[in-house]
Amino acid sequence: MGNKWISRINLTVVLIILTIISLGVLYPLVYVVSAAFSPGNSIASLNVIPFGDGFTLKHFTHLFTKTNYLIWFKNTLIIATSTSISTIFVASLGAYVFSRFHFTMKKSMMLTMLILQIFPSFVGMIAIYVILLRIGGLDTLWGLVLVYLAGNIPYNTWMVKSYIDTISKSLDESARIDGANHLTIFWKIIMPIARPIITFLGITSFTAPWMDFIFPKMILRSADKQTLALGLFSFVTDKKNEFTVFAAGALLVAIPFIIFFIITQKTMVTSFGGAAVKE
Amino acid sequence: MGIRLKEDGSSRKKLFITSILFMGLGHIIYLKQYVKGLLYAGIEIAMLVMLPNIIHKLNDMITLGTPKPDLPVKLRDHSIFMLIDGVMMLALIFLFVAIYIISVRSAMADYKEFCTEKRLKTNRESLSRILGKAFPVFGLAPTVGLVVFFVVVPLIFSACVAFTNYSSPEHIPPNNTVDWVGMDNFVAMFGGDSTWTMALGRVALWTLVWAVLATATCYFGGMIMAVVLMDNKLKVAPIFRGIFILPYAVPSVVSMLVWQNLLNGSFGTVNRTLMQLGLIEKAIPWLSNEWLAKFTTVLINLWAGFPYFMLLVTGTMTAISADLYEAAKIDGAGRFQIFKKITLPLVLYQTMPLIIMSFTHNINNFGAIFFLTGGSPVVSDSTITNAGGTDILVTWIYKLTVNLMKYNYASVLAIMIFLILAPFAIFQFRRTKSYKEGEL
Repeated sequence: MGNKWISRINLTVVLIILTIISLGVLYPLVYVVSAAFSPGNSIASLNVIPFGDGFTLKHFTHLFTKTNYLIWFKNTLIIATSTSISTIFVASLGAYVFSRFHFTMKKSMMLTMLILQIFPSFVGMIAIYVILLRIGGLDTLWGLVLVYLAGNIPYNTWMVKSYIDTISKSLDESARIDGANHLTIFWKIIMPIARPIITFLGITSFTAPWMDFIFPKMILRSADKQTLALGLFSFVTDKKNEFTVFAAGALLVAIPFIIFFIITQKTMVTSFGGAAVKE
Repeated sequence: MGIRLKEDGSSRKKLFITSILFMGLGHIIYLKQYVKGLLYAGIEIAMLVMLPNIIHKLNDMITLGTPKPDLPVKLRDHSIFMLIDGVMMLALIFLFVAIYIISVRSAMADYKEFCTEKRLKTNRESLSRILGKAFPVFGLAPTVGLVVFFVVVPLIFSACVAFTNYSSPEHIPPNNTVDWVGMDNFVAMFGGDSTWTMALGRVALWTLVWAVLATATCYFGGMIMAVVLMDNKLKVAPIFRGIFILPYAVPSVVSMLVWQNLLNGSFGTVNRTLMQLGLIEKAIPWLSNEWLAKFTTVLINLWAGFPYFMLLVTGTMTAISADLYEAAKIDGAGRFQIFKKITLPLVLYQTMPLIIMSFTHNINNFGAIFFLTGGSPVVSDSTITNAGGTDILVTWIYKLTVNLMKYNYASVLAIMIFLILAPFAIFQFRRTKSYKEGEL
C-alpha cells in the first residue's frame, strides 16, 4: 500500500513541475498572440495579463493596408522556393557524382567542401557584395538566391552523398546494362530512393531564408524588395516600438510554420537523426 | 617520330610531352580526337588571350593601387576591387591548371586503352564516350562554379583582408587606398593594443563558455524532458510533449525579438508582471547587467533549444531494445540505476555527433545573441571595440563590419573562428563512412 502512495505523490509532483514548465514555455507565445489582438502600440502600454486590454483586428488591417507586408511575404516566398529547388538540384547532382565516380582531385574537393561548411557565409560578405555588384545582382531577388544556394552546397552535398553511399551500387549497374545513361540513373533510380534525404534538404533550405536577416539587409535595398525578416525587424527597432503590429505579423508567419512543423516533425527528426548517425 | 602511336607503349613519353606543350595537342595529333582536342585547345587559347589582363590584375592585387589624391574620387584606384579581382584571377588560374591536368591525364588514359585494343577510337565512339565520361564534369560544374566564386573567393578575400589595413576612417576606398601591412593586425589583436587584446580575450572566452553552456543546458534539459515523458504511467505525456515542441517550431528571429521585448528592463512585460505581483521592488536588469545578461541568453536559448534534443532523445530511446530494460529489471535494478547504466550511455553514444554539431552551431549562433541582446550591455571597452557583454565572435564580426568598418580586425576574428572549428570539422570527417572505408 505504502509504495502505491509514494508513487502517486511522485506522479503528482512530476505533474506539477511539468505544468510549471509548460507555463514558462507557453508564456511568450501566448503573450504574442494576445499582443497581436490588443489595442495599443508599444509593449510598454500593454496589460501584463494576456488579453487584458480587449480585442481588435486593427493591426492585421494595418499590416495589409498600410505596410508592404504582402510584398514582403511574396518576395520571401519566391526566394525560399527558388533556393529550395535549386539547392535540391545542384546538391543532389553533385552528391551523386561524388558518390559514384572516381576522378582527379575528388579527395581534395571533398575535403575543401567539408572545411568550407564550418564558416558562416557572412564572413565573406564584403566580397560577396562586390561580386554581386559586378554581375548586377545587387538589389535583386536572384542575387540573394544565388548567395543562399552557394552557401547551402558544401554541407548539403556531403549530407546527400552520405545517403547515396548507402544505396547499393548493383542497382545502377543493372540499369546501365539495360542501356540507361548516367542522367537517367540519377533521375529515375537514385532520386526516388533518396527521397527522405531530399525531402529533408528541401524543407531545411526552404525554411532557412524566411528568417535570415544579414544577407537580405546587405543585398536588398529598395522598398519593394524587402523580405519578411527585414520588415518584421523594422517594427521593433530602437527608434520605434510597434510591438503589437510586429506580433500580428509574426503570428501570420509562425502559424503556417507551426502547422507545417507538426505535420513533418516525425520525418524531420528521424531523417536528421538518421542522416547524422548513418554517416 | 611519326604522328602514329606505337602499340607497345613506347610512345608514352612523346604523347605526354605533346599534351603538356599545348592543351589538347596530343588529342589532335596522335589520338585523332578532334572535337575533344579542339575544345581543350580553345580553353587554352582563351586563357592566352586573357593573359595580359590577368597579369595586370594580379599586379594590381600586389600593389593594391597607388593613392591619387588629386584625381576625382571615381577615377582613383579602388584597392578592394583590385583585391577581389586578383583573388578571382587566382581562382581562374587554379581552375585552368585543374583542367590542364585533367586533359593530360585523359590523353594518357586513352593511350593506355589504345595499347590494349590496338586501334584508335573513331570520333563517334569518343563522342559517345565523352557524354558518359564527362558526366562528372557537367554534374559538378554548377557546384564548383558557385562554390568557387561565392564561397571560396569571398573567404580567401577575407583572409587576405586580415593582412591589410582596410579599416575606417583612414583606409576606406574609393577615397583612400588600402595597403598590405603583414602581421600588424594580429600583433595588435594579440598583445600589441591592450584594449583590443582584452576585448578579444573576453569575447573569445565567452564564445566558448556560451557554446558549452548553450549545448549542455539544451541537451540535458531535452533529455530530462524526454525521460520524464517516456514514463508510461504519465497518460497526459503527449499533451506536454506537444506543448514543449512549440518553441522549436517558431522561427528563432521571432522568438528572440519577442523575448527581447518581454525582458526589456524599463517597459518589459516580465518586470512589470513581477512588480505587480509584488515579487520585486525595482526592475531586474535582465539584459542590461553584464552577468545577468549572459545568464539570460543561456536561459532563453534553453527555452528555444531544448525541444530539438527532447525529440532526438525520444527517438533514440525508442530504439533501445526493450529486452535490455527487462533484463535489468529482473536483476533488480531501480529506475535511476537503469537510467544511469543503460539509457544514458546508449543515448549519449548515439547522439554524440549531434552534440558536437550543436556545439559548432552554437559557436556561430548569430541569431540567439544578436536578436536577443544585440550584444549589449555596454562594457568598459565597448566604445572603442563595439564588443558588448554578450557578444560572441560572429556577432562581433558583424558589428566590426557594419558599424565600425574595421574589416581588417573582423577578418582576424574570422580566422580565429576557423582555428577553433577546424578540429571539429576534421573529427566529423574522420567519422564518415567513406573515410573509414579508405575511399578518401
